[in-house]
Amino acid sequence: MTLMTMIVKMSEGLGKTCAIFFLTLLFSLPLGMLVALLRMSRNRIVSAVTRFFITVLRGTPLMLQLLAVTYGPYYLFGANVARNKLIPVVIAFAINYAAYFAEIYRGGIESIPVGQYEAAEVLGYTRMQTFLRIILPQVVKRIMPSVTNEVVTLVKDTSMAFTVSYQEMFTIGKQIANSQTSFLPFVVAGVFYYVFNFIVDRVMGRIEKRLDYYK
Amino acid sequence: MKKLIALALALVMVLALTACGGSAPAKTDAPAAEERTSFIMGIDPEYPPFSYLGDDGGYTGFDVEICQAACDYLGWEMEIFGVNWDEKLVQLDSMECDCVWSGMTILDSMKEAGYVISAPYYDNTQVLVVKEDSGIASSADLAGKLVAVQLGTSGEALLNGDLAELAASFGEVITCDSFLKCFTELAGNSVDAVFVDLPVAASYCAEHDGLRIIDESLGAEQYGIAFRSGDQALCDEIEGAVAALVENGTYAEIAAKYPDIVNNLLFLSE
Repeated sequence: MTLMTMIVKMSEGLGKTCAIFFLTLLFSLPLGMLVALLRMSRNRIVSAVTRFFITVLRGTPLMLQLLAVTYGPYYLFGANVARNKLIPVVIAFAINYAAYFAEIYRGGIESIPVGQYEAAEVLGYTRMQTFLRIILPQVVKRIMPSVTNEVVTLVKDTSMAFTVSYQEMFTIGKQIANSQTSFLPFVVAGVFYYVFNFIVDRVMGRIEKRLDYYK
Repeated sequence: MKKLIALALALVMVLALTACGGSAPAKTDAPAAEERTSFIMGIDPEYPPFSYLGDDGGYTGFDVEICQAACDYLGWEMEIFGVNWDEKLVQLDSMECDCVWSGMTILDSMKEAGYVISAPYYDNTQVLVVKEDSGIASSADLAGKLVAVQLGTSGEALLNGDLAELAASFGEVITCDSFLKCFTELAGNSVDAVFVDLPVAASYCAEHDGLRIIDESLGAEQYGIAFRSGDQALCDEIEGAVAALVENGTYAEIAAKYPDIVNNLLFLSE
């Protein structure tokens, strides 16, 4: 098999890799905000329960969570395993990344001085207005580097979908490596991930720059 | 401009590694045979009945027991190393183990890549396993259906090689990282059949209800032991020890514990 055929074959799997990447971001970014708000809730029970879920999601390997989401329903209730593996894969990834994003959001929100809330109250802003108009825009700017970190990790984590037999790019690379007794597909995979992350880095850098309108 | 430089660098990386990709694995400086006191056996820890985690938590299986007996015969200390099956040859090359001996199908590509392969000891046949009530009677009934296979197994190699036409008639071939996952997918109805080695299929179906092996052998292959290139002497010693075990009856004694595979063992049928 020539290098070109390898690249073409693996590019086919790249679509599935991209599907995991974009769908995970689509669901986990907003879900993370919801989790962060629950975590900071004044209601102690809500906050404690959310905190517990975050520790579970951050304290167990993503690979186990993938297995649990995909095969758990079958082993527990005898339910059918999903034919389209993208569904359980995205659910597992979105929940896991939401936990990380939630903590990043919380860090950002709590870094805003209390004085701003007091000032907003004096000026007659409601709590909702204060959060959406004053706090959130600052938070977004502050957390961008940490979010970029997670997004870059996500690109590489997509390779874990292989654990539940989802045929993404790295899986195809492994198949070729096996049938050809060659190490080359791993090099191609490495370059693919690097180029993917190079683009992610550029895009995130550009968004960060756009947000720096006060500097 | 920066993008161009990055792209150029990436390209150089690919080319540099391409250059060494095709060459045979480097010769190793393994200790000479007479100094050898220990032997690291590379196994797939999830491949019953050849190699698996036994009830007592230790590794066991037909291959493991034979290797242990051979090492005892040679006076070597045996260690077991669980390889990642789809990267077994890389791990062999990087000296993590001295051989791969775990129901491994002999492929021409291994010999071409320079590995020393022992004489075959097992005649392997690939079969399809389906659900008992599925009504699938032959491989032709699987047109457009999903078939699971374990990555890195001979079944997967066959579907990419000799049986590529059959594989193309399937809806999709799903590769899993263990045979257990293949069967879980089958039981969970996310695939319609599992393509797997006959002994594995037989032992799994014996323990789990509701499964059926399609009576159609789809590719006969043989198992052997892989050593690093340049380890011919080591291969000869192991083969000699196994031959002695066959001679003194130990081999047949161990084989008797594994009724599923005993009929396919080449040394016993001679």
